[in-house]
Amino acid sequence: MTKEERLKKRHRAEKRFRFYGLTSILVALLFVVILVQNIFSKGSSAFKKTVITTEIFFDQELLEIKNGASEEDIMEADFYDLMIENLIKAYPAKDRDEEDELLKLFSGDAEIEIKKAFLKDNNLIGKIITLDLTASDDIDQLHKGNYPRDLPEERRRISDFQLVIYDYFVENKKISKNFNNYFFNNGDSRDPELAGIGGALVGSFYSILICLLLAFPVAVLASIYLEEFAPKNKITDFIEININNLAAVPSIVYGLLALQILLATIQLPRSTPLVAGITLALMTLPRIIIPCRASLKAVPPSIREGALAVGASKFQSVFHHVVPLALPGTLSGTIIGLAQALGETAPLILIGMVAFVVDIPSSPVDPSSSLPVQVYLWSESAERGFVEKTSATIMMLLSFLIVMNFIAVYLRQKFEKRWN
Amino acid sequence: MNNIKIKSKNLNVYYGDKQALFDVNLDLNEKEVTALIGPSGCGKSTFIRCINRMNDVIDICKVTGNIEMDGMNINDKDLDVVSLRERVGMVFQKPNPFPKSIYDNISYGPKIHGKGETKSELDQIVENSLKKSALWEEVKDRLDEPGTSLSGGQQQRLCIARAISVNPEVILMDEPCSALDPIATAKIEELIDELKKTYTIVIVTHSMAQAVRVSQKTGFFHLGKLIEVGKTEKIFKNPDNKMTQDYITGRFG
Repeated sequence: MTKEERLKKRHRAEKRFRFYGLTSILVALLFVVILVQNIFSKGSSAFKKTVITTEIFFDQELLEIKNGASEEDIMEADFYDLMIENLIKAYPAKDRDEEDELLKLFSGDAEIEIKKAFLKDNNLIGKIITLDLTASDDIDQLHKGNYPRDLPEERRRISDFQLVIYDYFVENKKISKNFNNYFFNNGDSRDPELAGIGGALVGSFYSILICLLLAFPVAVLASIYLEEFAPKNKITDFIEININNLAAVPSIVYGLLALQILLATIQLPRSTPLVAGITLALMTLPRIIIPCRASLKAVPPSIREGALAVGASKFQSVFHHVVPLALPGTLSGTIIGLAQALGETAPLILIGMVAFVVDIPSSPVDPSSSLPVQVYLWSESAERGFVEKTSATIMMLLSFLIVMNFIAVYLRQKFEKRWN
Repeated sequence: MNNIKIKSKNLNVYYGDKQALFDVNLDLNEKEVTALIGPSGCGKSTFIRCINRMNDVIDICKVTGNIEMDGMNINDKDLDVVSLRERVGMVFQKPNPFPKSIYDNISYGPKIHGKGETKSELDQIVENSLKKSALWEEVKDRLDEPGTSLSGGQQQRLCIARAISVNPEVILMDEPCSALDPIATAKIEELIDELKKTYTIVIVTHSMAQAVRVSQKTGFFHLGKLIEVGKTEKIFKNPDNKMTQDYITGRFG
């Protein structure tokens, strides 16, 4: 082979390698785009809800309270008859069956929505107001174009007569799409139009908070001790290997551990963020220790020697110099560990967070759901309304992860100091 | 002839199974510069790191024999290394300022030793240290800038100022100029000349010329053994040992 041929061969090898690299990046990007596009196209409609603009007449005869009633009285009062009387006027129905079908176009919370309007202004008796009442899931999906109306009637959830009413609403501009506040404020529900991630958000927040409070100090102190103070011998080698192994243990194993120890032995309340937080902390601990130790290791020994040489004790050299320098790496490692914990599903399923919880937890010891488990729960539901809710929850989860990772990168770049 | 400040007797150092120093007997005189020369890996740095017990940092390092400062056994297991290092400062091969402000670099030592209780006392210590290390004029207007933003030579003088700040008796310098250009080197050498009036200085160097210029006494190490020690003039003009002769004339090393 001549010199020229060899040179050509080398250039070819380089080009080939560059091609492989570019191809793999493009393939990876393509998958990300497909995934995101899929989630967005399915999920974005969940942030809007369909409402039916309805006139409500607060008839004194149908209510047992008076103008200026106290909040307590209003909460206890029955608005059911008032609701029925008003809703059946939304469309000129001929008989009782038609009225029943008409009523099914509204969500199960119509009564509460009317009550809330009265709570806001308790002088409405005798007056007529217009309210945007949430539509039922079927109408919601139909209006968003997710539901096919050209199927034969017996295969549709919406009857022909209901379609007629719907068209009447559309024609009279009584139906519209609003911001879906229920999606953020409500807990889980059997009715898709009322279901929200409020409970899951709060549950996830408590879980991650507990995870942070437990895992961060323990992980940081353990890393500092192992990296700076512990003698290098077989015992510390053994510990190091085991930390690395623990980081690779499937998360469901931590769920089993929590089930046996936290729930069965210590008898902590099941399905709660407290147990979830402890479980996630156990799982996250090695995942924080590893980057923590790496960032401590990255601090050059010359800094330690410089501090020791002016007479700093070992403790002072570590806590005055090494730890502050390692802090950005430590924090970003922690955030990435927490982001992983936020998306963790398997261990939470084992500790009972899959339970159907309607109430939004008010403390970490209340039963609760969490975002990834909510995704899991809704993805198994049959109703069409849950399809978009599933995707929308994934979008929320992803955006939290992106924000957390962004903060991690930012911290690292902003505060990482260069030495020489 | 000055008093003997540091005296080593049959000093042996082992890194695990490997012996790095063999029965070193070396006396360092007070307020004088002693240069240690020799090829790489001959044990010069190991020797000076015995004086401030920096070898403690290395787990596998074991030191036997005697090394005394003013009659105090440095190698004593019960000796408090923190107060030893307050008395024996060190400047390293590569400038290693803390990634903090110039002011904080120098005030750190006095602070941890409880010197300079008030801000004005600290200010005074910082100013004096920088003046002694001939850096004051260059940095007095930017004391809150990071120490790492200075040039290499300035950084090394900052490190010297940091060593001076706790008012030590001995300053150890481990090839302080090896990472610097000739101009910065000249400044440091000038500084060493000035500092020897107050401090006992030990300098490890690879430059014969530097040893001649700055030191009064020179020790030649080879393979962990102290081959010859004596007045710098004598070592470089008329050494007793053939190996010393060969080394300083550049025949090996």
